[in-house]
Amino acid sequence: MTKGYLALILHAHLPYVRHPEYAHSLEEKWLFEAITECYIPLIRVFQELKGDGVPFCLTFSLSPTLLAMLEDPFLQERYANYLSRMQELAQREEERTAGDPVFSPLARMYRENLNYVSYIYNEKYGRQLVRPFKELQQSGHLELITSAATHGFLPLLAIHKEAVYAQLAAGMAYFEQVFGFLPRGIWLPECGYDPGFEEIMGELGLHYFIAATHGILYASPRPKYGVYSPILTPGGTAAFGRDPETSHQVWSAKEGYPGDYNYREFYRDIGFDLDLEYVGKYLHPPGLRSNTGFKYYRITGPDNYKEPYNPQRAADKAREHAANFIFNREKQVEYYGGLMDRPPIVVAPYDTELFGHWWFEGPQWLKYLCRLLADNQYIEMITPGRYLEKGYPLQLSTPNASSWGDKGYYEVWLNGENDWIYRHLHQAAKRMIALASDFPEAEGILRDALTQAARELLLAQSSDWPFIMTAGTMDMYARARQTSHLTRFLKLERQIRKNSIDAAWLKKLENADNLFPQLDYHLFQPMSGTVPIERDKLPVI
Amino acid sequence: MHPDISSWEDLDGGEILPLFYDEDRLVLLTRDPYWLFAYWEFSGETKTNVEATVQKPWEELEFALRVHRFSEGNREESYYDIKINPSALNWYIQVGVPDRQYRVDLGYYPPGKGFVPVLTSNLVSTPRDNLSEVIDDKWRLPDWQARRFYRRIARSSLSSLEMMLQREKRYREAKKKGGFSLD
Repeated sequence: MTKGYLALILHAHLPYVRHPEYAHSLEEKWLFEAITECYIPLIRVFQELKGDGVPFCLTFSLSPTLLAMLEDPFLQERYANYLSRMQELAQREEERTAGDPVFSPLARMYRENLNYVSYIYNEKYGRQLVRPFKELQQSGHLELITSAATHGFLPLLAIHKEAVYAQLAAGMAYFEQVFGFLPRGIWLPECGYDPGFEEIMGELGLHYFIAATHGILYASPRPKYGVYSPILTPGGTAAFGRDPETSHQVWSAKEGYPGDYNYREFYRDIGFDLDLEYVGKYLHPPGLRSNTGFKYYRITGPDNYKEPYNPQRAADKAREHAANFIFNREKQVEYYGGLMDRPPIVVAPYDTELFGHWWFEGPQWLKYLCRLLADNQYIEMITPGRYLEKGYPLQLSTPNASSWGDKGYYEVWLNGENDWIYRHLHQAAKRMIALASDFPEAEGILRDALTQAARELLLAQSSDWPFIMTAGTMDMYARARQTSHLTRFLKLERQIRKNSIDAAWLKKLENADNLFPQLDYHLFQPMSGTVPIERDKLPVI
Repeated sequence: MHPDISSWEDLDGGEILPLFYDEDRLVLLTRDPYWLFAYWEFSGETKTNVEATVQKPWEELEFALRVHRFSEGNREESYYDIKINPSALNWYIQVGVPDRQYRVDLGYYPPGKGFVPVLTSNLVSTPRDNLSEVIDDKWRLPDWQARRFYRRIARSSLSSLEMMLQREKRYREAKKKGGFSLD
């Protein structure tokens, strides 16, 4: 008998990074590592489970910028090259460690992993990594959803309702273009929600979104069942709240699973440990110390002393942690179930990039979790979409403004490091809305310029730039990207206004910032109910 | 390099991000339940007009942000002024009261006279940092159940751990004084 539901949600996102102008872009490696270490290992787990007839389901959010990169032939080519270099390194590592009883099996493990990645990427799917996701959606194992077009942090763009609408609508449109159907749910970037979004989401026909714990807990009227039942927002979209216990079990610095001493140590990588002469040509860019993914040690303990990694012990631990996770869910749903007229739903969202990259054993943990749950009579895996189909009556309530970022609100994206961007982002949005209003039926090069202006604005709005500025690593890159997309937008806008579009330069921009080929600039057309900032100016006395 | 691949600089087309847009604008953003952020600029025309009106150079004017607080239903509860430097371009405003609406005026004090607003902002809200006091009777848990419910959530929260712990602590302290109830 089902006592409770578990909705696992993996949100996969990377900013749009594509630099044909450089032989090696440090930042393109974010995508390459995520494909090798997260996306394909997860696909492997899902396909294995499916092949074994294990009934499982979870929700997978693929951000539009990530989808666009997975679909881009230039990045596909670059990734394939990167992967074959890594395979070459794997071979050399096997030779280097040959005869060593401890390290040689680890080198072999990496070679086998990379061979499998190559099999999936190159042979089975011909570089089209969205295909396995589509298959898993069709077989009912994954509920695919998406996010705002470039993962804009919507609460800080919301002085223009159109900007929020365009981010969501463009993201959904691109998702539909890739997968052939519209997503039922949306991952609001960073769970950033502001009252009023529910109207826009309702207009877009979205069935649900995920909110931070206190977004639901502090909703009004007070939700009777806290985060253990979704609420229905006035716009008609349901809001599911993040469960704090499941996030704690994975994320807690002290007690979180990924910190277990048997798990693989992230910070000991041959890219730093071995001679540059040997490893240098496999680094990205060559010769510059960076991670390779070849890591031979386990966390071992709190200090610098590290022992070699033992895959079997780590796998046993992953299984133990999966069982512990389920045990805790049983207790949890028993506790809440006793207070509710329906089985509680535990919503557990995670960044996909945690699984495999930071937490090497994460995909294995997930595999054991699904296998154990298949035989568990109390906890049933579910997706938000399927939960809604069950037809439990939902309480009408409006969530509280919130995010899942540090401190729970907007400070990560609005502080002394990044607050300068909003003056420009708002100005650009205002001008884009005016363009869409003044040129309702543009054709030819004018239409192309308007579309590219919309692309540049969307790229400028990525939450990643202010986030990286706050984090303080790679912040030069983030500042450069932020500034470039804004200036490209402003220059386009001026050319459109002056009717002097530089066709050659536009072409270059279209080739460089080439995401969302069918983007419709009309998404920025003025909507009613916008905050009337301009009109509020007082006369000078 | 491939012929149709352009350098980053080439793509930026020699454009430089302007510092200002020569317009009158005061924008207010919410940061969290207790803080707002405002940024602004004055157009050249407005600056000239103000200087002509008060017969003083801009840099010698006394500027202030007037922060208006509204309760639900748009009733103004209070306002206060924050003196600012004429060269300031933005300001973090500690408003201190969650679940309220705010609007800010930016203006100056002419010598010997009261505040003169020049720019006014959009209206923003601070989020609650607390359970809503609004309870729908059809969706009411009995008190003892509600206590059990929310206490466990508060205990285990991570992303909002700090807030919730503080809240729990305040709740206990208030409870000791017999002040307020979580339910």
